[in-house]
Amino acid sequence: MKKKLLTLTLLLVLVLAGCVKTKSEVESEGKGDDGKGGLNEKVQIEVLGMGSGEEDLNIVRDELIKNGFDVKLNIQPDYGTFSAQKDAGNFDLALSSWTTVTGNPDYAVRALFKSDGANSLVEDAKIDELIDQASAETADEYTKTYQQLENQLVTEKAFIAPLYNSFKAQGVNKEVLNPDTVRLAKSRAIAWETIDFKDAAIRTSEPLVSQQAIGDLTSLDPIKGNDGSINTLNTNMYVRLVNLTDEDEVVSDGSLSHNYAMAEGNSDYYFLLRDDINFASVSNGKAIDTGERVGAEDVVFSLERAKDKDSVPDHRTYSLHERIKSAEIVTDLKELENTKQSGTDETILETLENGLDTKLSGVVENKTNADNSKGNYQVVKVTTTEPFPQVLNYLAHQSAGIVSEKQVKSINTYDVASFNLDKDIPYGDQRTVTEGVNYNNQLYASGPYILVKKNDYQADFVKNPAYRAGSEFEPKISNVTVRFIDDADSALSALRNGEIHLFNGVPETKYDLVEKADNLLLQKSDSNAVTYLQFNTAGREVSKSENLRKAVLFSINQDEFLNYYQGNKKKAYSTVSPLVDTGNELVADSSKVKEFLEAYHKE
Amino acid sequence: MKESLNNRHALVISKEYPQANFTWILSLALALIFLWNSFSTKIEGLNLFVFTLFCAYTVTAVFQLFITMKMKRDLLSTGEIRTTTRRLGYIQLASLLTGNIFAAAFAFTLVNKRKTPEYTFAVYMLLTQLAVIAISSVNLFKPYVSDTFLIAMGSLLLIALFHLAALILTVRYVNEYSAPPWMSVLAVVLMVTALTGNLFALLLGWSLFMKSKRFDSSRLLKWNVMWEKITRNSTAVLGMFFILLMFSISITSRFTFDYALAVENNYSAILESPSLVYPFGTDNFGRDVFSRIVFGARISLLVGFASTVIPGLIGGFLGALAGYYSTRIDNWIMRLLDILYSIPGILLAIAIIAAFGANTVNLIIALSVGSIPTYARTMRANVLMVSNYDFVDSAKALGASDFSILFKQVVPNSLAPMIVKSTLTIGGAVIATSSLSYLGLGVEPHIPEWGNILKVGSTYLETNSYLAIFPGLAIILLVLSFNFLGDGLRDALDPKLD
Repeated sequence: MKKKLLTLTLLLVLVLAGCVKTKSEVESEGKGDDGKGGLNEKVQIEVLGMGSGEEDLNIVRDELIKNGFDVKLNIQPDYGTFSAQKDAGNFDLALSSWTTVTGNPDYAVRALFKSDGANSLVEDAKIDELIDQASAETADEYTKTYQQLENQLVTEKAFIAPLYNSFKAQGVNKEVLNPDTVRLAKSRAIAWETIDFKDAAIRTSEPLVSQQAIGDLTSLDPIKGNDGSINTLNTNMYVRLVNLTDEDEVVSDGSLSHNYAMAEGNSDYYFLLRDDINFASVSNGKAIDTGERVGAEDVVFSLERAKDKDSVPDHRTYSLHERIKSAEIVTDLKELENTKQSGTDETILETLENGLDTKLSGVVENKTNADNSKGNYQVVKVTTTEPFPQVLNYLAHQSAGIVSEKQVKSINTYDVASFNLDKDIPYGDQRTVTEGVNYNNQLYASGPYILVKKNDYQADFVKNPAYRAGSEFEPKISNVTVRFIDDADSALSALRNGEIHLFNGVPETKYDLVEKADNLLLQKSDSNAVTYLQFNTAGREVSKSENLRKAVLFSINQDEFLNYYQGNKKKAYSTVSPLVDTGNELVADSSKVKEFLEAYHKE
Repeated sequence: MKESLNNRHALVISKEYPQANFTWILSLALALIFLWNSFSTKIEGLNLFVFTLFCAYTVTAVFQLFITMKMKRDLLSTGEIRTTTRRLGYIQLASLLTGNIFAAAFAFTLVNKRKTPEYTFAVYMLLTQLAVIAISSVNLFKPYVSDTFLIAMGSLLLIALFHLAALILTVRYVNEYSAPPWMSVLAVVLMVTALTGNLFALLLGWSLFMKSKRFDSSRLLKWNVMWEKITRNSTAVLGMFFILLMFSISITSRFTFDYALAVENNYSAILESPSLVYPFGTDNFGRDVFSRIVFGARISLLVGFASTVIPGLIGGFLGALAGYYSTRIDNWIMRLLDILYSIPGILLAIAIIAAFGANTVNLIIALSVGSIPTYARTMRANVLMVSNYDFVDSAKALGASDFSILFKQVVPNSLAPMIVKSTLTIGGAVIATSSLSYLGLGVEPHIPEWGNILKVGSTYLETNSYLAIFPGLAIILLVLSFNFLGDGLRDALDPKLD
């Protein structure tokens, strides 16, 4: 009896064992090819990234390993250490991201891929040529050029391996704010002046509470910074000649100009200025109207200093404006009457007058003489060094914000060459607005809001009383507080418990939390942020071998990124993908990886 | 009157009665947890599988309560547990099928009146082996298993059968101070099976070996007394059981689990809820959390042990020197260590990791350095005490060198508190490992380590809470086990409690 039972059990175990599939059986049923290069040794790829990109790094690591590479991760805690590692060349691939805040494709490639670009590691004559060619073309013409550029940059040479294009997502507390008044633009920073409370009665008593990650402000002088710490703040503190719509079209709405026009030849640009904005300053914690108008003199001063590398120490944005040859005040109305607009038969004057209540009767040089209601306007003409229609996008960027000539000149009295940060306090230095003994707020704001004070936790803004008062562009809410919350998850908690009203940058994996919350609304839109892998171009195997780079390129499977982010990312081919539809797409192909790896080993 | 007082005393000193109480309360608590989970799933209706578990555990708990009451009556009326009551234990053994280790362990204690340490070892050896098989066999539900799975499972099953045989032989032939000589062969084979990580087999093997080879009876007495003290403490044995189970799993998982499931991303199975295929669900990269936790045990145990043993050795050596030699040496060593002691351990670890990079070796070094002073202090205090004993004077009189006195006489007799201390602090080391990984300073993020798994879970706490619950439980259980075992060891080894 016992023996029988034992035999039966043994038989059962054997039968059951037959039903179990082992890993190698399953794999041989599948492709029969695991991509692991047989004879050759595995190539080691060192991937550099920041802790914040841990998920992307993991996906890249996984994809490379599955394609037969050996991966070493170099994860740095913050941007400082990441840059140090990158500068030291301790990487084969660096996880990088780029956001085209100006909304034009030239900005998306010039600094990154041109041989002399500020952030460029790429040196390729054909790429340089294509970037320059595209910059002179209009939107209809440049699609093909950018496609060629992508072909050279990615397909032919594999200088970068694109990963994905992100969305922008913003959480809004809809119980406090009227969500229809909260904009979410593709490129530009959020405009506070349109935002309104659900209950208009609390406009003056309650502040709008927003959030940003970085609390260490680079500079409140618009030309001295172009980063996440000041982009939104300076956008709301300084008015510009033109603005971008939410879809990245250049318009005059909400700007210093009534209208603008591009003259024949695409090198001259005319702007008809408004007369209803004055500079604001801060006195005793309140914003006061200085009585000084924001005029053409200030525009000329601001643009001249923006394009001049030596106008201030630590000029961080001159490369954006280096195509501006000159900015001048138009003193002769005839010039406007005799110049045609680009691509049409209309004159510049007709274009500028379009939609105005009072037509131009004269152009004045001095801003105090301008009076739009009487037909006296100021007109600014910007000339570029070569035909460059995308200059308008740069003029819409926060670094082209208009500052007061009088105020900036009275503060920046130091000598630029011998500037000493310990002794000289330049205009816009954050020390002057930080609470404490050094507080001495000397800001002059041309935009809808002005910064009163800041500390390590928040910055307080009040509205400019002389910013288009009485019009629809007059700021609705009197006070704006920007909380500095570094961690996205903490910021999300703050949004959910009502501590902040607005949070730009909801993480992809947390969309449903915001969508499910009764008091919140998730706004989503496209963005120009592209994440890609930058190949090291000096001193590494990947620098020397095009085949190796291509093997890595074809290992990247963008579908897996889309899956990981639950479809909340889009495919990209290069940093211009979100701006120009070139039709290129990266398709992962393990057989190509094998081919290129074999070619690499033969080298 | 006197008799009833005696019987009341029997109830108080009985070590089985508290364990019986402990078991039914724990079974009921587990049953309630299952009940809660069978209803609180997102899908409407109840989860049948979990509900069945609830029923099984409730039945166990109720039966256990019945046994407990019967035991109380027996003890109060006759002063000992009747054989009929003990027989009920055989029925309770069936609870093993539902995975109720506590009830099974109790049943094993109940059925055998005459408990030698060997019996306890044998029971827990078998339980460990069965638990390892049960945990490994969960892989059968996976689409595929690792290539070595079948061979490994077959061997594990054979070993389990062998362990069962060993258990039966132990019950039949082993008594307090002796075992039949032929058992030494069995003992050696048992010690070989300990290679699967089942260290209970090693303990049993060694114990049987000593008895079958008729070792010195004072040595046997010491051994018996120590293990009786430890095994009397049921939480300590359960703690030891869990630690050795984790140890065994981390060795056998090499053959029974597929590492790829724990590290390779699978985008078609992202954030899946617990199911038979993925018992603890999948994480944000589609990796099987169950496999990750199983493989994570390896790193947690390795780092935990290494970062306890290394400072134990270094600190012990320095402390021994400081305690034995002149005041000058004492002052030099101890004041230097005081400086090290004044630096917060976790900050020192963070600084070391930040400077030398994050990997397992650096992690061990970082965690070790900070805890050297505490071990040195413990050792010094013991050496100061032990070096005044007569046998040290005798050794001196016999002309032994200082060095040999210190390391042959003094240190071995000062080890007990060190062992207790290291067991108690090993839990801290496990937590420190996980904390550093949680902060992104431990091992690389894709490597399964409990802190890493918990870190992923923490970001999905609201939507996919199981991602944090299971690694959290694993950490809690392991640390708790070490603490329980440490307490048990202290009770057994502390001379003051003699």
